[in-house]
Amino acid sequence: MKKLIAILMAALMCMLPLVSLAEVELTMGSWRTEDTAQVQALLDKYYEMTGVKITFLPTTSTQYNATLRQQLDGSIGPDLFYSRSYATGAELYDNGFNVRCNDIPGVMENFTDTARSAFTAADGSVFAVPFAAVSHFVYYNKAIFAEQGIEIPKTFEEFLAVCEKLKAAGITPLANGIAANWDILECVLCGMIPNYITAEERLAYESGEKKMNDETWVRIYSDFAKLVPYFPEAFASIDNDQANVLFGIGDTAMLIDGSWSYGTLSGDDYDIDVGFFTIPAPEGFAPGFSLHPDFGIAGNAASAHPEEVRAFLQWLASPEGAKVAAAGVPAGFLPSISADVAPEGGIVSQMFAEGEGKNADMRFVWSKMMSLYTPMVDQLNAICRGEQTPEGAADAINALWEAELAK
Amino acid sequence: MTAKPRKNPAFRGGRCIRPGGIYWMRYVIPALVFYVIFMAYPMLDSVRLSLYEGTAGTRQFVGFANYVRLFTDEVVSTRFWNAFMNNWVFFAYHMILQNALGITFAAILTNRTMRGRQFYQTLIFIPCTVAVLVMGYLFKIMMNPQWSKAPLENVGLGFLVHSPQGWLGDPGTALSAVSLVSVWQWVGIPTMMFVAAFQGIDDDLIEASSIEGANPWQQFTRIRIPLIIPVIGMVAIMTFVANFNAFDVVFSMETLDGAPNYSTDLIGTLFYRYGVAGQHPVGIPEPGVGAAISTSIFFMLLCGVIPVLVKTQGKE
Amino acid sequence: MVKQPDFSVKPVKAEKKTRSLRIMNMHIPYHIIMILWSFIAMFPMWFLLINTFKKKTEIYKNFFGLPKTWTLANYEALFSGSDFLTYFRNSFFVVVVSLSMILFLGSLCAYALAHWRTKTSRAIYYFFVIGMMLPIKIATIRLLQIMKALNTVNTLFSLYPVYIAMGLPTAVFILTEFIHGLPGEMYEAGYMDGAGRFRIWYRIVIPLIRPALATVAIYNLVPIWNDLWFPLIFINREDQKTVLLAVTRLQGQYSTDWPKLLTVLSMSALPVIILYLTMSKQFVKGLTAGAVKG
Repeated sequence: MKKLIAILMAALMCMLPLVSLAEVELTMGSWRTEDTAQVQALLDKYYEMTGVKITFLPTTSTQYNATLRQQLDGSIGPDLFYSRSYATGAELYDNGFNVRCNDIPGVMENFTDTARSAFTAADGSVFAVPFAAVSHFVYYNKAIFAEQGIEIPKTFEEFLAVCEKLKAAGITPLANGIAANWDILECVLCGMIPNYITAEERLAYESGEKKMNDETWVRIYSDFAKLVPYFPEAFASIDNDQANVLFGIGDTAMLIDGSWSYGTLSGDDYDIDVGFFTIPAPEGFAPGFSLHPDFGIAGNAASAHPEEVRAFLQWLASPEGAKVAAAGVPAGFLPSISADVAPEGGIVSQMFAEGEGKNADMRFVWSKMMSLYTPMVDQLNAICRGEQTPEGAADAINALWEAELAK
Repeated sequence: MTAKPRKNPAFRGGRCIRPGGIYWMRYVIPALVFYVIFMAYPMLDSVRLSLYEGTAGTRQFVGFANYVRLFTDEVVSTRFWNAFMNNWVFFAYHMILQNALGITFAAILTNRTMRGRQFYQTLIFIPCTVAVLVMGYLFKIMMNPQWSKAPLENVGLGFLVHSPQGWLGDPGTALSAVSLVSVWQWVGIPTMMFVAAFQGIDDDLIEASSIEGANPWQQFTRIRIPLIIPVIGMVAIMTFVANFNAFDVVFSMETLDGAPNYSTDLIGTLFYRYGVAGQHPVGIPEPGVGAAISTSIFFMLLCGVIPVLVKTQGKE
Repeated sequence: MVKQPDFSVKPVKAEKKTRSLRIMNMHIPYHIIMILWSFIAMFPMWFLLINTFKKKTEIYKNFFGLPKTWTLANYEALFSGSDFLTYFRNSFFVVVVSLSMILFLGSLCAYALAHWRTKTSRAIYYFFVIGMMLPIKIATIRLLQIMKALNTVNTLFSLYPVYIAMGLPTAVFILTEFIHGLPGEMYEAGYMDGAGRFRIWYRIVIPLIRPALATVAIYNLVPIWNDLWFPLIFINREDQKTVLLAVTRLQGQYSTDWPKLLTVLSMSALPVIILYLTMSKQFVKGLTAGAVKG
């Protein structure tokens, strides 16, 4: 009988309504769990300056989009949140979740049209304050390069020669794998594309003026295919984390990955001395630089504290605020603001320097061709497994895009 | 109790306490209230979404368009049928291998005279307690030649390595590898159910049959198995239903896309991709398509479950 | 199946029979099977365990071997970050409250459905069974709205009802089956004693279906303990987080420090094992109860 009473008590407990305390405190959603300490320190600095407390509540990257949407839908979303660029971010705005940023002082003045366009919805509304861009690099192990007497390659041909030399010396040249199903396109192929196609030419492909299976594309896929022999053993089983580890523990000489990985690769976890360069352009092609608007900070339209939310966004859009923020976020995120806010001589300046005088462009498919993302990943995987030719891949993608344009 | 074993249906629930009367309702209502408010209503209401398009702010009624798309659109229907077939393979591994192991273990573990039964049963169960996240991580390393080739070859187990791409990287083996890991991890659950079922069997029946000269194998096939047919049916149904909702094991070992080349894509991951998260990297979900997938699968499950229920439960 | 030699039938000398009985009761082939499987079941656990004593990247250089230098740092980090006791307590509450309610409501309902045989009861039974066939994730947004209306978002109270409702279909399904399988005479005795239906439920039915109750509890224990989805969406407050929710946040922070992550996660399995052992005692009790019934 006692047990029964205990069970009934438990049942009662369940029914008790609970009053949650209303605290005047903002929350910030993010997918960068890696950055919790740094970003919270930055937000604490903001608290010291303004007296507004903001708590950083990141969710793992793979779950972020889904959970954020459900929370916004149920109106329990965070007051501020990291916003993805382009369609993903715009779609939340279309659902009415974002504060419209056009009239926030600084948003229209302190950013270039290019930087802002990634966070502008179809109706011209700016749905987030642009915050950071990312790039994609070849990371290399300085010790191994020195040991093998290897110079940083200037052209894609030299790059392949370096890979060949390393392979001959018994060192796995590249750590990249294809198990994660995203980095092969986002970091490797989209890192290469600006070497072949400029931002203006991209528009011609988007409009259908140029074909997605022309010479250039076949060349891109063939050059990509030349990298595959230098991937590690069992690359089909290696995901992005494992690729980072293989490079980090010094088992491979190079890794093609996003600029965001610089923090961990150069950090305390690994003992290697890491350097980076952009994926070199083949001879006869003008070198490009992938600079992809990655995230902005959006305000929740349903926030209980709209004043504070706007104040924070305004601060971010000002050179002073952006400077503090740029110093606070981890290395590898390139500030989107036009003002020169990167700490001098810092890693961000070095990354910007890599792009100096090169044709910068974002990840190719992001602006208009998002529907080609998954098919492209599939084609790249097929090339890696040796089941598809560069021509075949280009034709397959072109067919899809033509069908889409015909609609 | 007499020596002769009783026939199954007469034995089970032969006489009941007044099998009628609205009186029973008061026992049902508390569970029903919880179930309706927190599960049935929200779920059925969400199934309704299969007739709509768009997300919260932009939702529109589109009739059966989502179903039409699911079964006629080239990409979506290819993915759907691919996941559907994969799911059957995944289910077959569990149904045949996991449940056979479960019955075997349970039969052994209900031997009254055997020692260490509790110990073995706990060991079988321990893998169930560890989060799938960890299992995914461990097996990803253990099945990757990059890490396991040299150590395994050193101890003469080189044949366990699948070169060059590893069990999880080869589209031909990935689904089997994932299924086997899942069978391995969760075999403790059917074992436990069968143990409970075998324990419900009257000892006298077994004793009586011994006296009549039945050997343990005969006892197993002629008495113990027939007596737990309803439980076997129950476990079969639960295996069936659970596997068509399986998600975690693929997610932790082969990403949401069911890599490599969709060879491990299951209905669970497909549903999550379309209905909840949206395809990476755009991440715009289509709750309508997700609901259409769930609803279609729901009716297929129903077609599979009802006959089994009727046959094994014999309650009508 | 391994065939057992037939020892039982022919009349033999008394002493020989005791000897063969003794050998038979050792069940050697059975032990071989079980030891074999125990090995298969435990070897990944072994690698899990030894890797919690390694430092950061050693796991990738030396996954299969013993640690070159043993370190307890991962365990120290776990217990010095006192937050984890809060997370464990939260998870524990969630599991215990949800399971008690599932068993209480489920067994009452199943008791009724096993005895009350009309079209209505059949309909209710199938209504519950249907609940097993749809993914609960589909209903997340509606559930969130309900929780908001009940003002329980950001507290554990938003999780209890969901888990209880999630567990009920299987509970009703399994328990109805088992109660139905109980021999009818059991009730007659109680009924003749003049016991009411409720008394019969907790005096006769509950003790007899203990193994089934334990089965239901354990079946639901693992998914509830390891659920990530609902805490991820419903809970943002630090002091209300469950273990797995806290861990995934660590997963990002420690993305390269898997030994630490494995430590946390293997520790988070311990309470489940303890709960399992507690509940599986019911199997033994059920056994004795079963012995009485003959």
